[in-house]
Amino acid sequence: MDWTWFHKWGSPKWFYELSGKWLPWLVGAMVTCLLIGVTWSLLFVPQDYQQGLTNRIFYVHVPVASISLAFFPLMAMAGTIFLVWRMKLADVVVKVAAPLGAWFTALALASGSIWGVDTWGTWWVWDGRLTSLLLQFFLLLGVVSLRTALEDSEGAARACALLSIVGCINVVVIKYSVDWWNTLHQPSTNFTLATDQANGPEIWVPLIFMIVAVYLFFAISLILSTRNEILQREKRAQWVMDLVAKS
Amino acid sequence: MSAARSTLAGAVVATLRRDLLIAYKRKNDLFNPFMFFVLVATLFPIGISPEPEALGEISAGVLWISALLASLLAMDNLFRADFEDGSLELLMLSPHPLYFLVLAKNIAHWLVSGLPIVLVSPLIAYMLNFPEGAYSTLVLTLLLGTPVLSLLGSIGVALTVGLGSRGLILAVITLPMSVPVLIAGTLTVSQTLEGASLSGYLAIMGAMLVAALTLAPLASAAALRISVN
Amino acid sequence: MDKQPSERTEQVETLTPLLAVDDLFCERDERVLFQNLSFRLAEGQVLQIKGGNGSGKTTLLRILCGLNDNYQGLIRWRGELLANCVEEFRDGMLYLGHRVGVSKVLTPRENLLWSGHLHRQISADEMDAALAQVGLRGFEDSQCFTLSAGQHQRVSLARLLLSEARLWVLDEPFTTLDVGGVAFLENLIGQHSDRGGSVLVTTHHTLAVDGLTELTLGMGQMPRGSLS
Repeated sequence: MDWTWFHKWGSPKWFYELSGKWLPWLVGAMVTCLLIGVTWSLLFVPQDYQQGLTNRIFYVHVPVASISLAFFPLMAMAGTIFLVWRMKLADVVVKVAAPLGAWFTALALASGSIWGVDTWGTWWVWDGRLTSLLLQFFLLLGVVSLRTALEDSEGAARACALLSIVGCINVVVIKYSVDWWNTLHQPSTNFTLATDQANGPEIWVPLIFMIVAVYLFFAISLILSTRNEILQREKRAQWVMDLVAKS
Repeated sequence: MSAARSTLAGAVVATLRRDLLIAYKRKNDLFNPFMFFVLVATLFPIGISPEPEALGEISAGVLWISALLASLLAMDNLFRADFEDGSLELLMLSPHPLYFLVLAKNIAHWLVSGLPIVLVSPLIAYMLNFPEGAYSTLVLTLLLGTPVLSLLGSIGVALTVGLGSRGLILAVITLPMSVPVLIAGTLTVSQTLEGASLSGYLAIMGAMLVAALTLAPLASAAALRISVN
Repeated sequence: MDKQPSERTEQVETLTPLLAVDDLFCERDERVLFQNLSFRLAEGQVLQIKGGNGSGKTTLLRILCGLNDNYQGLIRWRGELLANCVEEFRDGMLYLGHRVGVSKVLTPRENLLWSGHLHRQISADEMDAALAQVGLRGFEDSQCFTLSAGQHQRVSLARLLLSEARLWVLDEPFTTLDVGGVAFLENLIGQHSDRGGSVLVTTHHTLAVDGLTELTLGMGQMPRGSLS
């Protein structure tokens, strides 16, 4: 039964080696995009006639918020793969994505509230998108704390995979219900800001660079923490010992 | 000694009967969620304001949040005793689909912990100066919404049943998931007060209930298998 | 982690064994509990699983009855893979675990009624007869928290009497039983085996059952005694 052997030990090693080759390219691409995006958005984008410099947090908030929406689908997908095919690498992804997602969501909330100072004149508004993000943040913390609370690694892995799937469905329902709640309670809030701004190419081209940069940053963080987790889990495997001996 | 294999309905009814019997014998299960609901609702006038206008404004939200917390508190008895005494293992080794057996347990649990809250809600609503003319809406939304809360909570309980101290982690998992029900319940009440037609809102809550009835026991059953593993 | 071919000599089997286990591998907390574990359980066979504390006896039983699926390897029930015949398997198997599955607030009768109905229809007479046989006459309607641990165990033994399962999986069933209870259960196991039923049992107690075979975990992991 070489196949199960491959699944158990081969796959993480394969990922570790492959991702090691990708990493320099990804980091290079990210730094390039980030430099272009940051310089462009801070120095060359025309200042909004209504809003001050804080408005430029837009170039951080939008990419970070959009990536934080990707975490639950990612975790649910990895969780399904883990539950169905028992692929250990998928569980590693579920495990590292949860705290990473919580950080990104926290960043999106923080940048959103800084943006809110300019837009609404206050640090926090029960705006539909911010509220959904906040609830998603809580759900991610729930996955993280479930993982910490269940000591048994196999059981914790499956429980978190299942919770990720349930959570993913729930995030969608929360999104719709919060939008519904928000439109009925605060019909006058100014939501059209983002689309107003993204009018000309001088506004949205740097945004695209920032989005690509943040997506790459996300991929790099995910890969790095996955590699870290793999090394920890496989510390008894021969290839990890060889690796340690070489370094 | 030869008798027919039990039917699925027989197994479901036996499970329902057993859980109701246990609740009846442990009067606490029957009484505590109900008392908790009344107590939490009582705290709001004391903490916020005894002014009838102010209370009337928030009464729907108060009732819903109290119901949500009471249902969370009650969740702990759903699988815990069965896990500890081994009955859960028997349940899982039955040849009948676990989905229906879990559903039966959920129904029994709601009858014991949810239904009394729905029944007492008009009284508490009156004490909170709940606007007249929305009483039936309130009861209807609670009747549709509290089962959803129980079904969602059951997933969280099933995931954490093996843990020693799970009170807080259960809340962290369950409360965000309950938000859509809270929104639907309170919005339905406030919109009917403003004269909107009830049927559309009730349809949304009904859809939530149907979705929860079909999906949540699946997730709970899977979670139980993981927890007992 | 080299997988050596199992040294088991293939036996010519005229009958499909009730339960066939091949190359079972189970790891818990980065520790290998067992690997290359293979054995057959024929109809009428009583197999005692031995091994020190922590050798994985309970885990093995939970794997075999389908409560734990954290393993690799093949388990067949009457020649079919367990995953393909879950319902038939659960119909034909009865498991008594460490935790006996007796609710303390219910009476023995109520407990049996429920656990019985999960499998088959049982009549009140049958139930009373079973309770009398396990020595609980007069306790049928007392709540179980008034009963002792040994009496709880006896309630679960009544389940064996009410069941029509071919395979009994018993995890330390003797621990709380008194001398009379031990003899009763040994007798019960013997009768079950005579009727062609199979038993998997873990216990530290020396079983007085005819034709007992043994499997020791943690060492050679090959069953001693003849398998036929």
